Amino acid sequence: MVDVFNFVEAIALVPLASFVLVLLLGDRMPKKGAISGIAATGFSLAISLWVVLDLAMGGEVYHEELFTFVAGDDVGVELMFGLLIDPLAALMLTIVSLIAFLVHLFSLGYMNDEGEIGLRRYYASLSLFTFSMLAFVYSNNLLMAFMFFELVGLCSFLLIGFWFRDDGPPSAAKKAFLVTRFGDYFFLVGVVAVLGTFGTAAFAGEHSFIIEATHVLDPSHSGEMNTFFGLGEQAWITVIALLVLGGVVGKSAQFPLHTWLPDAMEGPTPVSALIHAATMVAAGVYLVMRMYGFYALSPTALSIIALIGGFTAFFAATMALVKQELKQVLAYSTVSQYGYMMLALGGGGYVGAVFHLTTHAIFKALLFLGAGAVIIAMHHNENMWDMGGLKSRMPVTYWTFLFGSLALAGIFPFAGFWSKDEVLLETLQHGLSGEPILLVGYGFGAAAVVLTALYTFRMVFLTFHGDPRTETAEDPEPIGWNMKFPLVVLGVLSAVAGVINLGAIKEFIGEDALFLKKWLEGKTLDGELGSLSAKEYHHILESDYAAGYEVTEISPLGPGALALVLALIGLGGAVALYRGSEPTPHMTKLGRVRTLLMNNYYLDEFQVWLATGLTAPLARAANKFDQSGIDGVVNGTGSVSMFTGQRFRKIQTGIVTNYAALLTMGLVLLLLVFALMGGWF
Amino acid sequence: MTDFGTLPDWAALGPALALISTAFAVFIVDMIRPDEPWSELLAGVSLTGSLAALGLSLWYFIAGTGQADWGGAIRLFEGTLIVDGMSLFFATIVSSVLVLVVLASYDYFSGHTHEAEVYSLMLLAATGMVMVGMANSFVIAFIAFELASLPSYALVASLKRNRGSVEAGLKYFLIGALSSAILAYGISLVYVATGSLQFDAVTAAISEDVGGIFALGIVMILAGFGFKIAAVPFHFWAPEAYEGAPGPVSAFLSSASKAAGFVLIFRVFIDVFPYEAVSNTVDWVMAFQAIAIVTMTIANFAALRQEKVKRMLAYSSIGHAGYVLIAVAALTGDASGSFVLGSGMAHLMVYAFMNTGAFLFIALTEHWGVGRHIEDFNGLGTQAPFAASAMTLFLFSLAGLPIGGGFLSKLYLLLASVRANVALLGVALVVNSVVSVFYYTRVVKAMWVEEPSEDLEIESQPVGLYAALALAAVMTFLLLPGFGAVVEFANTAAELVTP
Repeated sequence: MVDVFNFVEAIALVPLASFVLVLLLGDRMPKKGAISGIAATGFSLAISLWVVLDLAMGGEVYHEELFTFVAGDDVGVELMFGLLIDPLAALMLTIVSLIAFLVHLFSLGYMNDEGEIGLRRYYASLSLFTFSMLAFVYSNNLLMAFMFFELVGLCSFLLIGFWFRDDGPPSAAKKAFLVTRFGDYFFLVGVVAVLGTFGTAAFAGEHSFIIEATHVLDPSHSGEMNTFFGLGEQAWITVIALLVLGGVVGKSAQFPLHTWLPDAMEGPTPVSALIHAATMVAAGVYLVMRMYGFYALSPTALSIIALIGGFTAFFAATMALVKQELKQVLAYSTVSQYGYMMLALGGGGYVGAVFHLTTHAIFKALLFLGAGAVIIAMHHNENMWDMGGLKSRMPVTYWTFLFGSLALAGIFPFAGFWSKDEVLLETLQHGLSGEPILLVGYGFGAAAVVLTALYTFRMVFLTFHGDPRTETAEDPEPIGWNMKFPLVVLGVLSAVAGVINLGAIKEFIGEDALFLKKWLEGKTLDGELGSLSAKEYHHILESDYAAGYEVTEISPLGPGALALVLALIGLGGAVALYRGSEPTPHMTKLGRVRTLLMNNYYLDEFQVWLATGLTAPLARAANKFDQSGIDGVVNGTGSVSMFTGQRFRKIQTGIVTNYAALLTMGLVLLLLVFALMGGWF
Repeated sequence: MTDFGTLPDWAALGPALALISTAFAVFIVDMIRPDEPWSELLAGVSLTGSLAALGLSLWYFIAGTGQADWGGAIRLFEGTLIVDGMSLFFATIVSSVLVLVVLASYDYFSGHTHEAEVYSLMLLAATGMVMVGMANSFVIAFIAFELASLPSYALVASLKRNRGSVEAGLKYFLIGALSSAILAYGISLVYVATGSLQFDAVTAAISEDVGGIFALGIVMILAGFGFKIAAVPFHFWAPEAYEGAPGPVSAFLSSASKAAGFVLIFRVFIDVFPYEAVSNTVDWVMAFQAIAIVTMTIANFAALRQEKVKRMLAYSSIGHAGYVLIAVAALTGDASGSFVLGSGMAHLMVYAFMNTGAFLFIALTEHWGVGRHIEDFNGLGTQAPFAASAMTLFLFSLAGLPIGGGFLSKLYLLLASVRANVALLGVALVVNSVVSVFYYTRVVKAMWVEEPSEDLEIESQPVGLYAALALAAVMTFLLLPGFGAVVEFANTAAELVTP
């Protein structure tokens, strides 16, 4: 068989080629470049699946350095480009290319058929977005990951602001860019700190910074690292981990940097699907997974992650309860669901987090694409109170959307149930062994389950059930096959994707049927995954020198049943409140609480105040100092330099005897100095 | 690699032999039609010869001739000539510059009455420069220096009807003669003290207590070399010569000739006068530190106030000599010698391309008949976007912005000075680089931002000059990603020389 690893680079490079092609020739291409994007992402998907197959059949992990910028013993740091494809990366590559493929296809209906202009720009950005994310996923070192992380941010800026002639999108794009950039500053400092501490930023290999850090802390090994500011080794590792976490919090829209994500709904809906399910937002969480061995060393960092994650899961769910626009509800649900993943990572549930990332990618892409179909049908009116009764008028959209909602709400046996259960179970297991912070996170997460089911089915009832509340809803615009096909694919996957890790019933089916766990532990592989396997991560987590987590063995059935009951309570609540042909807006009864929630706890206002009330005066003061103080000095230096330059220029008289004299004098001066210093006489 | 084993030892002189035989071939070609020079053939022969020299140097260098895993340096003529990594590295630099300059000369000197002489003088000078790198005895070094210098004087004055060119040639010759005298005097003093001229023998003869005569010789030799690399205070000839000389000749002298000066400084001061042995009498590391700082500072500040672009570049090239001097000035023993020296060599390699490119752009403007002042460059960006882009790349790379190899090579020099605990050198490097950004940017601004004057009209796009510019630009850019390889080669070559 041909070795698939000979052309794994192409997984990302083919979308890049598509980007260049569309950028140059887009206007003359069929469907303005959509075909090229579909072909490229389809190709990436095929190769990714092949890679997964190859790894499952016992292929080796692929790790190769492609290009070195700077290296050498004398320099002390190593900067390079390289590829790392292990089970985690292979899984992520598959998800990203699958979602990107379906989004491209859906765009045919959403953008082309609607006669949008500027499609060349749209498809070029979409291809670049896919490329950046795929390259980010298979980066083998932190610096390369950072570069593509930034490129992902740039592409989301371009796409969120796609309709730049309106007022909303450019401002939302700027906000997304600036808020994530704020987090990325910390990430950048973190990258430099990693390089300064370990001299390398590689994720894998014998001398990766993760292994080096483990060896430093592990008493049975010896390793080397530099620490700064007089901090201890573990404390410094925590500092680095938290710096990198800054970028994660920004990109994955975690509290308090989540504010950009709901605004990002201004972009075209397929783009939202891509951003939420597989690219931009997923990048943050993926980064933590990629260097999980490093995070596992620091109990402080893990607790912070768990707390941020749990709190965000709950906090975002409350805001989703009162939103009136379809996509706004979905946006807050994304924030909330990524909170679950962070909770799982902080709680030591690596497998659970990966699992939830996978299922979430599927059902959230589905929900967004379904919402896109509804939006097309409703002529771009997104207010759910103007909908209703769409169930019978768009059955395919309804049924697939319902599947996605069941998955999101965590109802048995849909995909979301299994993964959310895994997240909560693993957190609980570690929390019960004397980690109160994890229990707090678990509490938040469990409470959010109720809210999730409630707001999800509020959304479903308002959109699809009851009587049509406007004329558009009476007679929605039909959608084409190119929109239905992605919905059906994702709908089926939402129903069955849980099969890959049926953790809640493992007592009946046995450990061996937990495919995802085996996959991440590398059991199906001949080659040892070593430091990259879930097993190794658990080993580190449970070591005393690292996080020191312990596992309380409890039957997964109990927590699973609890999660289901909580979800059913939320579902029941939604049925009770919003059933019937004319649902009443119950949320208005919340009064001032609703106003608070509608205004997102005034966090946006707070951030604006931070910028205008605090930063701007500070900046003005700094500017004043800069104008008078610094510039004065600089200008002074400039004048002095110019004057000196004039003088030095004058040395050159043009008369050759002067030169000879000066040259000889210079020599004599040298001789005198040396003679006196060296004591020649 | 293996087939080379069958070649005789003298074949190691290949680059020099290729150059000198091409010089004679050019004479012969010229004899066919002495009255109307056959431009294409002359340029073709010269280009072939310089390419052959470049190819040979690169091949030998990559094959590892004369390097550690080859079994050490190849010694010829009873050890008076030596071929090792260092000499091949510099042969590569010299012949690369020669290739670019010959390409450019095809257009520049086309129709010149003494075209053949220009080519053969360039080839002869290049032979001298390559031989300087192979010298292992003071006599050979001196002769090779003169072989490089005498044709250079004539080249500077080759525009016989141009007063500036002739005046510059004369001044260059006079100062050159003075410096050669100082060098010869220094060599004779060393001979008096040690009784030998061959490098190894001189080193062997250095006893614990080296006397004043010997020390006097060392300082005079240092002054002689200082002239060659145009370090302050032996630099006075450089602004005049570079400005008066025809563009390609300025490019050749400021890049290749400087490299030849440096190779001898590296070899003589590191190998022949080992710091440990002579530091009590002549602390040459400190001397180089002082010279490096003074050179950088005076040159860059003087460049600030220049109105003519070529003269400004002349000062910038003096300033770069100051940067490269860090390679010897930072040999305090705190940092690994091969790293420090290798950084300087790598900077010379990058500098060879970006500086030659910049001077060739000046040659192009001279060819067009555009004036020499900065204002005369106004609006060149719209008239000749390609050439102006290449020039922008060269200037920014010279300034050390991360657009060409100049960024990384300066970074390595900075690292070298920091490692060696000579912070002052690093500070001088950084401050002067900042100053240099100012005057380089003036040219870039003139080309791209200012409105062109009305009579500016550029029609011709000379093939040779454009090809040379393109080649230099591509190399300057490629040396950014490819710098790792260059510095590795340089370090390997330097390892053999450093103790």
